[in-house]
Amino acid sequence: MSQTKVEAPFVEKVHHFKNLIQNGGMQIWQRGTSATTIPDGVVSTVDRWVMSEGTDGSATSEYDLLSDADRATTGHSYALELNCTGADTSIAAGDRSYIYHSIEAQNCQHLKWGSSAAENLCLSFWVKSNLTGNFSVSMRQEDNTTYYLPLSYTINSANTWEQKVIQISPTAGSTSLITSSNGVINNDNGRGLMIFFGLVWGSNYTGSYSGTPTWTSTADHADSDITFTNFYSSTSNNLYITGVQLEVGNQATEFEHVPHHVELQRCQRYYQQIPHTAATTWQAYPLWGVNANVMSTRLQLPVVMRAAPTGAFVGTRNTDFKAYYNGGYQTLTAESVADTTDDAVRFDMNSSGAFAANAAGGLYINTTDGRITLTAEI
Amino acid sequence: MNIKSVKKMVMPEDGTTETNTLKVTDTNDKVYFVPKVNANLDYQDVLEWVAAGNTIEEAD
Repeated sequence: MSQTKVEAPFVEKVHHFKNLIQNGGMQIWQRGTSATTIPDGVVSTVDRWVMSEGTDGSATSEYDLLSDADRATTGHSYALELNCTGADTSIAAGDRSYIYHSIEAQNCQHLKWGSSAAENLCLSFWVKSNLTGNFSVSMRQEDNTTYYLPLSYTINSANTWEQKVIQISPTAGSTSLITSSNGVINNDNGRGLMIFFGLVWGSNYTGSYSGTPTWTSTADHADSDITFTNFYSSTSNNLYITGVQLEVGNQATEFEHVPHHVELQRCQRYYQQIPHTAATTWQAYPLWGVNANVMSTRLQLPVVMRAAPTGAFVGTRNTDFKAYYNGGYQTLTAESVADTTDDAVRFDMNSSGAFAANAAGGLYINTTDGRITLTAEI
Repeated sequence: MNIKSVKKMVMPEDGTTETNTLKVTDTNDKVYFVPKVNANLDYQDVLEWVAAGNTIEEAD
């Protein structure tokens, strides 16, 4: 048997999970893939990316399946597509719209921020738009004192995929905020770092930095000395983004493609739904009779969540989710999620005396329109 | 989360023991069940809502 010696430098340069961004390739869409109006500060479509729209205009986010040619260019199959559906050509001071990604603090410990050994970071991503010009990216360090770093990138050619690379120094602008003790990122399950891709920032969210990226304790997401393109200038505007990677170092390396099932599990730490898959069928879960009015079940979750999740029923009671007992569907009067932990949830289904203590029944959920959502976003 | 009302919940087994969960109704009348856990961002919204002078209702 012949053996091949693997040289140490090759091995040393393999860094698994080097990308601090989860779902940077936009491949996980548990909530759905169709066009959804961007709300104010919640995840609306693609997992782990929060959308916020606070202008006089409006926009949607949706799933984009890249063409073979675009996949050959970018190396990605999916992108987040943003469309302006309502224009706002006069941006007020308090207007803002953006997407952001939060990185859990305990996943940032190797950055050594809060010390003189703080690591440099490199952000890379693919972007395409009908617009050209300058767009904002910003970073927020959440723990202890909150610090902001306004950054920018330029789209040079309309309707063309371009890869952007932005270097992020912990001492940007010759500052020592991040390398001081106030720059420490706590070792916990709270927010560590946030990356914002700005669509528009009103003057309340900008500051003057003469085009030089500079850490600041002021909530500035964009440099007012740079002229930015307004995504909301026309309802013809769109912007696509994928392949977002944030890694230690000064150079953008090849995007870390994570197997689909691994990426899904990573996303389920922050959001899960029961049942998971919409398949035009019914799923059943065993219920136990607490008393004549309540039947319950407790489910172990397939992935431990970041924190005890918020639960919500989606669909219509007695249509999309039903309770089966004693030979037929019984009329539900209420439903709730209770006693949640990071790895288990309890569902209570209420009727007006239709059940019995210690009896067995079933919770049926129509997987097309009904589900129970569990959210522990960050 | 734009909160309209918040109500305590009790265990159905005895109807008196408070659960770790609050029933939160938002301004679109969508209902959420929010655990009283500091790491849950929706619970942080509830705490801010209470700090603004609002009151959590007792359980039914």
